[in-house]
Amino acid sequence: MGFDLSQVIRGRVWKFGDSIETDAINPYYRYPTMEELKQHTMEAYRPEFPQQVKPGDIMVAGRNFGCGSSRPGLVLREVGVAAIVAESVARLFLRNSISRAIPIFVAPGVTAIVQDGETLEVDYPKGVVRNPASGKAVALRKFPPMIEKIFECGGLPEFARERYLKEAASASRPKA
Amino acid sequence: MAQTMAEKLLTRRNLSGKAARAGDFVEAKIDGAMCHYHAGEPMHDMAIEAGFKDGLPRVWDPERIYVLLDHHQPALSQKLADENAVIRREVERLGIQCFHDAEPGIAHQMMLDYGLVRPGELVVGNDSHTIGYGAVNAGSTGITRADMFYVLLYGELWFQVPESIKVVLEGRQPNYPIAKDIILTLAGQHGDDIAQSMSVEYSGSLVSQLSIDSRMCLSTHGVEIGAKFAMFESDETTRQFVKSRTDKPYEPLTPDPGAQYAKEITLNVDDMPFVVAKPHQFGNVVPVDEARGTRINQAQIGSCANGRFEDIEIAARMLEGRKVAKGVRFIISPASQQVYLQCLKAGLIEKLVEAGVQVVTPGCGVCQPRVGFLSDGEVCITATTRNFKGRKGSLNAEIYLAGPLTVTAAAVAGEIVNPKEVFRGL
Repeated sequence: MGFDLSQVIRGRVWKFGDSIETDAINPYYRYPTMEELKQHTMEAYRPEFPQQVKPGDIMVAGRNFGCGSSRPGLVLREVGVAAIVAESVARLFLRNSISRAIPIFVAPGVTAIVQDGETLEVDYPKGVVRNPASGKAVALRKFPPMIEKIFECGGLPEFARERYLKEAASASRPKA
Repeated sequence: MAQTMAEKLLTRRNLSGKAARAGDFVEAKIDGAMCHYHAGEPMHDMAIEAGFKDGLPRVWDPERIYVLLDHHQPALSQKLADENAVIRREVERLGIQCFHDAEPGIAHQMMLDYGLVRPGELVVGNDSHTIGYGAVNAGSTGITRADMFYVLLYGELWFQVPESIKVVLEGRQPNYPIAKDIILTLAGQHGDDIAQSMSVEYSGSLVSQLSIDSRMCLSTHGVEIGAKFAMFESDETTRQFVKSRTDKPYEPLTPDPGAQYAKEITLNVDDMPFVVAKPHQFGNVVPVDEARGTRINQAQIGSCANGRFEDIEIAARMLEGRKVAKGVRFIISPASQQVYLQCLKAGLIEKLVEAGVQVVTPGCGVCQPRVGFLSDGEVCITATTRNFKGRKGSLNAEIYLAGPLTVTAAAVAGEIVNPKEVFRGL
């Protein structure tokens, strides 16, 4: 599943604090199946989240989002989270999101411009995150072209497959 | 241009051949890849999802991929046994040479026990604590399972060249391990993301006195302060350790004089108090006296952070002639079979069992968790990696992190206490 970085995302905000860990996002050792995970993701911080999150919602978090073990946030996509916007993201969660093409954006200052339940607009092409109600906005960090390409392919395994096919095709082409 | 260790390593391995500077995005050649239980079903499913209908078509180098079944050994359920069976099949199909199967233990410890990682190498693993091999001067780091998929195919991976942070440790090593107190103190004073995506370079007068075990604790916990790499320079201690395990040649990394650091932090350990991280974050650190009197139900020593010989030795030494407090479950898990054997030969296990400790199979279980779940309202003090809410079962349990000495003192007293009150003459 590719992610189109050229689209503008608008959604209702779920706001979280600093250093939200992957144990809370993806407590797989207690809930090993995706169906169970969907019922329990983020409950350590917001017990109502699994029941009340709606497709298209946006998660906004403080610094160091996704710290702890290296675990992908696929469950957040499964429950419908359209984007994650944080002051800063823990290195492995950022890598996990990029490599599975889950829309994640680093936007220092974002927690100051939006409250829980308000609407947020993420405009990647313009490099800005905006609260349409107040008009307040902060810049988001753009990715280098190599990483944009991974998003476009739908993730790193898909990117690998593309490279593999390209190399196989050029190897089988007769030499001039 | 003067380079940090991280810049030097990513310059050496940069596929473009250009000098790597902090902030650059590079594609780098990998020296070694540690893959644990994801090597089976998760990799296979990912391959199929990406369009490889028969699974991963090949691996880049069957001799540079190390598969170790650490999280699920021995299998604690049939589901895990089934997953392990898939891994065995995949290892054989892909021709992977280095496979530690019927051996319990933590992959990171076994990577070092068996000399599978050497100074100056760029090593990746699909587990956050892969960063620990910085103890022996490797640029090692955790990657994601999708990253690992790419590495298995190509032996290459993208990185952003990290800025570096110099952590200067000064002072004298006492006759007990203090690595956990050091890293907790750093996280408490400077925040649990002080080194976010950076490369930590440890230096200072304390370093030459630190054992490899202590360095592994400090490097492993690099990830708890956000780091990409957490490296020590190679010294005589490193050379002796590596020499007894591998004869493959290697090229250590040293930082250039004048290399640029984003930050420099100094910690003098001589006046550092014993500390604990209170629930539920690594950076929620206070001197142990501020948590004094907290009753505990469970105490633990183990994991890739603290399951090593010196962690277990201090517990055994302090428990001689003492008993674990009534009703307290004190669980110790050596990090690997090699560590277990070393403890057995030194007579430590006998002392532990006599004092009332439960010694459990080496592996990730006490930390992951697979062993020693907590019920509502219970309190655990542990020398393992993390204290997040629900980490050991109940969301209503409390987990305190501390060094092995502080954990042992609490196990004896039945409550959190300053080790100096329990063990006179420390």
